[in-house]
Amino acid sequence: MIKRVEVNYRGIFQKNLGKYIGSDIVMIASRMGKVAFSNGRYSDSPERNGIPCKYFAFVSPDLSEEELEAECGAKLDIDEADVSVVLDETMVKGVEPWGWHGVRPINEKVREKGCLLVVARHPHDELLEFIGKKPYHYRLATLDGDASLAGLWVNKDDLTRERVLGAIAAVDPGIISIEAVEAHLLEKTKDEHRAQAARDAYNATLHRIKLVAPGEGIDWPHEVPVLPKWHEFEEGGVVVPAVKRGFELGPRGQTRNDAFKRGTTKTHRPVVRFDLCIKCTLCWLDCPDECFDPTDDGLYDVNYEVCVGCHKCAAVCPVPECIVMVDELKFHDDSSPWEAHKRNPAEYIKWAEEKKGTVRLNYPHVTGTGYEVTEGKTVPPKTTAASGTKAGSQA
Amino acid sequence: MATVLQEPKIWAKELLLNGCQAVAQGVKLADVDVIAAYPIRPYTEVMDALSKIIADGELDSEYIVADSEHSQFEIVKHASSVGARAFAGSSGTGWMYGFEALVVTATDRLSPLFLVGNRALDDPGAFGVEHNDALSIRDMGWLLCWASTAQEALEHVLIGYRIAEDNRVRMPMALAMDGAFLTHSQHMVKLPTQEAVRRFLPPYDLGKRVMHPDNPVSIAPQVNEDWVMELRRQNWEAARRAKDVVAQAYKEYNEIFGSRYTTPYFDEFMTEDAEVVLIGLGAVAMPARTAVRRLREKGKKVGYVNLRWFRPFPSEELRAALGRIKAVGVIDRDFAHGSPDSGGIVVHDIRSCLYPLTNRPAIANFIGGLGGRDISIDDCIRMFEVTSQAPNRAPGDELVTWIGLRE
Repeated sequence: MIKRVEVNYRGIFQKNLGKYIGSDIVMIASRMGKVAFSNGRYSDSPERNGIPCKYFAFVSPDLSEEELEAECGAKLDIDEADVSVVLDETMVKGVEPWGWHGVRPINEKVREKGCLLVVARHPHDELLEFIGKKPYHYRLATLDGDASLAGLWVNKDDLTRERVLGAIAAVDPGIISIEAVEAHLLEKTKDEHRAQAARDAYNATLHRIKLVAPGEGIDWPHEVPVLPKWHEFEEGGVVVPAVKRGFELGPRGQTRNDAFKRGTTKTHRPVVRFDLCIKCTLCWLDCPDECFDPTDDGLYDVNYEVCVGCHKCAAVCPVPECIVMVDELKFHDDSSPWEAHKRNPAEYIKWAEEKKGTVRLNYPHVTGTGYEVTEGKTVPPKTTAASGTKAGSQA
Repeated sequence: MATVLQEPKIWAKELLLNGCQAVAQGVKLADVDVIAAYPIRPYTEVMDALSKIIADGELDSEYIVADSEHSQFEIVKHASSVGARAFAGSSGTGWMYGFEALVVTATDRLSPLFLVGNRALDDPGAFGVEHNDALSIRDMGWLLCWASTAQEALEHVLIGYRIAEDNRVRMPMALAMDGAFLTHSQHMVKLPTQEAVRRFLPPYDLGKRVMHPDNPVSIAPQVNEDWVMELRRQNWEAARRAKDVVAQAYKEYNEIFGSRYTTPYFDEFMTEDAEVVLIGLGAVAMPARTAVRRLREKGKKVGYVNLRWFRPFPSEELRAALGRIKAVGVIDRDFAHGSPDSGGIVVHDIRSCLYPLTNRPAIANFIGGLGGRDISIDDCIRMFEVTSQAPNRAPGDELVTWIGLRE
């Protein structure tokens, strides 16, 4: 028998966290007398900031190491997971774990009666508004907490690692037991509060497991791309046959690769107040992923399918309140904001301000020690059209 | 009669040229659009000759002196992607320094032509010929052939572009030439007329793959495990298709310029009834052929095969030519330390190609001429003697004999 754990992490920012959880599982399972190993698979290579990636850990009570590695060692992805860990709840909107595989449901690999374990602030039902349906029962567990995002290739030692181990023990003691987790942490760190953090997470998680019924969740809107055979596409490195060539004004007017959008990278998205826009072009010019589609009225639509949420547009926009980054889980689709604005400007402004709320984020500083998105200033609510006034007056 | 009337239209003039200058004349006749240059002996004289040709107004071409071989090769790769016929060249470690650009030129399936003036890799002061530099590209999706005279060098610039740019192939072409022995040896070289070249070599046409503002394409986008197998398979197919394209190119070359090449892939010398044959690349053909003549005078049934094309490798053709031979001696002006039976590079391909034959010849291998050392007529006679003993060798006996070594 093999128990498979999949750790979905945000590329670079959680790389070490994912790896440490994998190696901890191996150490803990080993002290329980089991055979185990862990491996990582990078996604959009070279791995980039925030892109969803996977680490795996495999545990078996009865197979030899050779047999276990033969089953699991040299595969790109796993077929099914007993536990799928999600280290950032915004990944419940789907992941592109490998380029060209399309946007996949976060619970795609969770087997029947398996568990999707999410580090989350949102309750189960709100998470299920984004998660695809399964034809069978599985469990959804949450571990209360923020996504632990570290800086470039470092680890943020905020006890997330220990708490996730405790939560895994809670949802599937057949992988690791809480006693073994505690013993491992105590022996390794000589630090009582690390073992305690695991135990607390274990106890809390036991009460935060929901049985998800067959059909519960959403109809998955994304298709799996069908890639051409070797003789079905142009030879010689011109290898994006799916991309038609061309450019038109308006939403989705620029040609892009439908099979590899990378939009699942984002944790926040830019909300644009088109009525405040001064058409300075900076968002369009500076966007590293060319997400802004020029329109015939001189404004720039945002293609949220390909936006990776890097915050650059919000940083360069000279007009206060014109582009504001908002938590990705507040949005249920990627439809064109410019079209919504054209349909009914007043309604769009009201909608945008509701999404923005009153708390603004400080843009992240990616340093050697940490990646922080912190709460910034609070702005007064504003739900009416600007009607020619520049929002600078708000500042 | 017809030949006499045609002669002036096909051949413009005859000049005394060394190998480098002959290649430069070939580049001129091919009307190359972009040339990237960076000096290293023995290739340097090619760029010297080209700069003079352009300065004299004989060729309208972008001539870019790069800051290194890596940049040099990148320049021609990119030029090739916009539909420009492009040329570069190098030698020895300069060639190796640009290797990253060389491998992606093949995976991007672009068709510049490169001259490799073979040079040792690169013990200080080693300027002489050794084939390891050009052979390093053999597995990377390239066309690779050796010229053994200055005339052949000029003609293979034209033949090379013709094959490399063919839509069925689209692979970069490396034309190799023995450093010093060919690059710096002067011979009378016949220059074809521009009109005759135009008949043989059509313009470079990338079709819908051409990168142009009116035809925006994405070349070499990021690929991963979902694409690399398919891309390699395409390249594999192109290398296989190249076999037919090579044959067709020589056929048409012979039709226009007279039957200069009896076979595309290699020249056979006195092999009809031969029992012992040597085979090698490049300038070693000169002493080897003389050795054949001298041994024939003594009644020995010997012959020489001058292997021209190494990629695509002429498996079927060599099986047909060597299958009836008793013993084949392979001359490697290169090394492959630690390889099977410690042989050179060429012997492995030839031995592997002959393996499926029921009555395959016995094989001997010679490593010699490294770093530009002579391989003399007497050396060749000795190689024939050793090769003639190869059928008597027991399994496990040494495959390799070093030639011209102080020992």
